[in-house]
Amino acid sequence: MAAAGSSGGAAAGRAYSFKVVLLGEGCVGKTSLVLRYCENKFNDKHITTLQASFLTKKLNIGGKRVNLAIWDTAGQERFHALGPIYYRDSNGAILVYDITDEDSFQKVKNWVKELRKMLGNEICLCIVGNKIDLEKERHVSIQEAESYAESVGAKHYHTSAKQNKGIEELFLDLCKRMIETAQVDERAKGNGSSQPGSARRGVQIIDDEPQAQSGGGGCCSSG
Amino acid sequence: MSLKSERRGIHVDQSELLCKKGCGYYGNPAWQGFCSKCWREEYHKARQKQIQEDWELAERLQREEEEAFASSQSGPGTQSLTFSKFEEKKTNEKTRKVTTVKKFFSASSRVGSKKAEIQEAKAPSPSINRQASIETDRVSKEFIEFLKTFHKTGQEIYKQTKMFLETMHYKRDLSIEEQSECTQDFYQNVAERMQTRGKVPSERVEKIMDQIEKYIMTRLYKYVFCPETTDDEKKDLAIQKRIRALHWVTPQMLCVPVNEEISEVSDMVVKAITDIIEMDSKRVPRDKLACITKCSKHIFNAIKITKNEPASADDFLPTLIYIVLKGNPPRLQSNIQYITRFCNPSRLMAGEDGYYFTNLCCAVAFIEKLDAQSLNLSQEDFDRYMSGQTSPRKQESENWSPDACLGVKQMYKNLDLLSQLNERQERIMSEAKKLEKDLIEWTDGIAKEVQDIVEKYPLEIKPPNQSLAAIDSENVENDKLPPPLQPQVYAG
Repeated sequence: MAAAGSSGGAAAGRAYSFKVVLLGEGCVGKTSLVLRYCENKFNDKHITTLQASFLTKKLNIGGKRVNLAIWDTAGQERFHALGPIYYRDSNGAILVYDITDEDSFQKVKNWVKELRKMLGNEICLCIVGNKIDLEKERHVSIQEAESYAESVGAKHYHTSAKQNKGIEELFLDLCKRMIETAQVDERAKGNGSSQPGSARRGVQIIDDEPQAQSGGGGCCSSG
Repeated sequence: MSLKSERRGIHVDQSELLCKKGCGYYGNPAWQGFCSKCWREEYHKARQKQIQEDWELAERLQREEEEAFASSQSGPGTQSLTFSKFEEKKTNEKTRKVTTVKKFFSASSRVGSKKAEIQEAKAPSPSINRQASIETDRVSKEFIEFLKTFHKTGQEIYKQTKMFLETMHYKRDLSIEEQSECTQDFYQNVAERMQTRGKVPSERVEKIMDQIEKYIMTRLYKYVFCPETTDDEKKDLAIQKRIRALHWVTPQMLCVPVNEEISEVSDMVVKAITDIIEMDSKRVPRDKLACITKCSKHIFNAIKITKNEPASADDFLPTLIYIVLKGNPPRLQSNIQYITRFCNPSRLMAGEDGYYFTNLCCAVAFIEKLDAQSLNLSQEDFDRYMSGQTSPRKQESENWSPDACLGVKQMYKNLDLLSQLNERQERIMSEAKKLEKDLIEWTDGIAKEVQDIVEKYPLEIKPPNQSLAAIDSENVENDKLPPPLQPQVYAG
């Protein structure tokens, strides 16, 4: 997977690798959502999975192979400031709120603002109203949520981890959108050369030095 | 390549592009401004000269180094602990550089020149480098063995890797960011080359990349780990001090979902701490990452045993923070920086290791910025704990054993018992004293009472003759009494 990185890959047979972060307040059901998606389990006493904070899923969408890495984030307020460390270089973000909890929807709005500010439009946003099995106790109106999502260029989904509703669609849709973004990227960058910058994380890349050094080494040996 | 030249074009003057020797060909910064042909000539000359110089320098510095080593037995392991060893470190660094230059060439002797090899054999290998060079050699051998299975591709990879190491040698004076950039470019170029030219399947590429990383980073480690040109060491000390100052933070404050009273859980906690500390001892970024991953797995186990459900990030991060606080891993910042700069990016990007590493970065960021609010404490309490005036543990002595090991726990239990005994002993003593006092008072009281009575009713004894005379004198009327009957004889 060496250079696949966030750029996915143009060459046939190479799989796309996407990083998706899960954001949302403590009890909105982020963990249940991914466990349902990756393990098809809900509050199961016999879950053998050791952890639900980093899960992967392999998909095949129209002949394109996708490796999805789902990063759970700590939702407690005290860790809010750490967000940027988590969502750096991610291709998609799933922002989860609890439809019975107005506050959790407010938190989602904060996240959206932050993500757009830090990552611009390169990241595919999904706003997810979870726990639709508790429709009677709904406190966030469907219309409000959907129109908000549209206004920020995100897609809105209704899910229930308990009843396994809407989850498959959510991830499939997100993957398709990420593939599109990756393809647009590739075309923009010209075929073949994947961008060196974005395949790296954490490194502050300072583009003010001649870049031929290591390439030079390669040239010489092959020539 | 198109990208390369595009990036270069922005920054390099046209005049700098021509070969410095003026042969008319284009030069290349990687060849110090020469064209490939002139560079090879220059380089060969310089190389011969350098071998000679290094040899002399090495002999001259050897004694110096051995002295330095004697006074800093543990060498690099303790570097971060004190600044006092700074000077020694410097000298070590200097000598090390010299010997590895030799090693550098001796490695290339595997392919060709025997001369350098003889030199190395003759070289009195200084004690501090022996360990390192043995490891380096072992890694090189493994690397070559590994590449042999790939035949022609392997050979080419080896060539590229060696070329890279040689260019890196000349970049040692550049900033660490630039060196990191070169390394990252190298990883990417090699991987791409394998995929596009060598048509190597991606799983294999990954394996080869791991080996390449191991090989080059074992060699580069000592130059690029916590280099003196950065303030990594200062940051290490800062975080170490910070963690020490936070010794009073309890699992309850962080809401750590781990119950250490369960012995299985506390075992896991100990293992996690061991893993995170072990990270510093590894040289290859990937091995360091593996330590973090191992640590994380132990944390997950601890959470799973406590909560009986898979751990989410909400559980994991606080626990990792707690583990870092308890373990205070050596050279934490240097290690993080080193991994970020020199790890193969594909691994850090999206892989599982990358996730745990990101969490570690989060934990460190949290510890650095932690304040009263993030522990749900009042500002006053937080300040008092930070200044060491009080410890939350003293207030809740019931809860303060969970992080202590069994022996310590027992000790505190015994201490508790002793203090109870002491109290009882004192009570007995005071009661005994009271009793004694009572007794003394009682005797005194009796004596006083007796005295009082004696005083009140003094004993008077009248002289006996007086009373006798009185009896006699009272018999005044004795005379009036008829005379006593006289015996009479009656004739009868």
